[in-house]
Amino acid sequence: MQYALLAYASAEESDRATRPIPGALAAQLDRPHVTGWARLHADESATTLHNEEGQMLLTDGPFIDSKEYLAGLFLIEADNLDGALAIAGEMLQETRPGTAIEVRPIIDGRFRGA
Amino acid sequence: MALDAVFRDQWGRVLATLVGILGDIELAEEAAAEAFAIAAERWPRDGEPANPTGWLITTARNRAIDQLRRRQVLADKTKLLARDIETGPQPPEALMDDAATIPDERLELIFTCCHPALALEAQVALTLRTLGGLSTDEIALAFLVPFETMSKRLTRAKHKIRDAGIPFAVPPDHQLPDRLAAVLAVVYLIFNQGWGGGRVDLAAEAIHLGRALADLMPDEPEVLALLALMLLHDARKAARLRDGRIVPLDDQDRALWDERQIDEGRALLRRAMARRSTGPYLVQAAIADLHLHQPRDWRQIAVLYQTLARQTRSSIVEMNRAVAVAEIDGPEAGLAILDRLDLDHYRYFHSTRAELLRRAGRDGEAHDAYRRALDLAQTEPEQRFLQERLAETTPSVPRGPDRTTT
Repeated sequence: MQYALLAYASAEESDRATRPIPGALAAQLDRPHVTGWARLHADESATTLHNEEGQMLLTDGPFIDSKEYLAGLFLIEADNLDGALAIAGEMLQETRPGTAIEVRPIIDGRFRGA
Repeated sequence: MALDAVFRDQWGRVLATLVGILGDIELAEEAAAEAFAIAAERWPRDGEPANPTGWLITTARNRAIDQLRRRQVLADKTKLLARDIETGPQPPEALMDDAATIPDERLELIFTCCHPALALEAQVALTLRTLGGLSTDEIALAFLVPFETMSKRLTRAKHKIRDAGIPFAVPPDHQLPDRLAAVLAVVYLIFNQGWGGGRVDLAAEAIHLGRALADLMPDEPEVLALLALMLLHDARKAARLRDGRIVPLDDQDRALWDERQIDEGRALLRRAMARRSTGPYLVQAAIADLHLHQPRDWRQIAVLYQTLARQTRSSIVEMNRAVAVAEIDGPEAGLAILDRLDLDHYRYFHSTRAELLRRAGRDGEAHDAYRRALDLAQTEPEQRFLQERLAETTPSVPRGPDRTTT
């Protein structure tokens, strides 16, 4: 089986980008069962794309609507936010109505694959 | 030019270049502020340098290098900086020759600040701060929010630009129409915010931004049209208030209108029209121009409002069309249009409706509508005007002479 572990941080801790990963945690990330990880910028850096009847709507900030659940995760590479939004928009076109994609920049990470 | 005026003029230009070099608005802002402070101290003593822009940019750049050294981080932020950190800062004079060819990157900066991934209120605040050179204090005051709130809003926006990778670039052609519309919307929003209150002169700020855009994008008809629109509206500023009361357009003292500004607005409007554009700002500027003619050509105004209503699908535009229709076909025809609109939250809807009801002789209903408008009014001159009308439509008081309003 494969699992995704989702980490949540306190809203006050929005300066993580300037701090290194704690040493003991970094060691755990190197263990063989960790197939990949990514450290994300705080949710203030998020942009959310909604598919409203075929039209892509942008909002500033994280996805906040308790009716929906977290359904998936994509890791992508782009030159800048415009590039990332374009890729997210293409994906969103093909998803079910009512889906939203939150675009969050990655501070650092590694992906080995399963 | 007074030093303050030079600074105001240079801030956006200097900051934009620094953001281009440093890749970070916050860092660029700190460095620019330091450079301007040094200039404020030295220029009065030693005289203004031959190339003030170049001097300010070079000085700010040096301060940024110092700052980065002190922090001992981000040294690889840009190649240019990395090299400078090794070789040390240059004296401002050393880069003087380059200064003339320093590219103007204000467009890149404004497109960054008005990026749709930022909330509209953040776009507005950031544009005023970076391009307009207003202080956080001034912006907070203008939007009637506490300093802390505005400061947080600005910081958050700057961090998002940095962390999320919002590009510092003029968008490619396929995105330009939408993105430019967003920039113009921000400028026009600032302008309209400036009409109501008498706090910071936001209308002047918006015109200042509009002029910069028209310089930078002289072939974009909507950019020219927006500047024309703002100039034509703003030209009536001095006549719009009398004794602290709003004066309807037909009662305004035309001698107080700024003729030079009207001429400039009209010239811009002609330039925009020559490019065969029919964008929403062009239509609005054409309407603003028609409103300055006496007598007003209400038929043409109504037709243009219809065009604008089709373009924008805005109920407020429909409301304005109703005013024109009332002038042509009588107040009941205008009221018939108003009755179809869902604008109960909008203060001018009620004052407009009240005016037409009054003209239709429906004083009782007019009175109620003026009361509702007064409840929603946000500025004292508006309140005074509405109180007067409220008194006039009170059943026991004889009516004053008939007047029209805009």
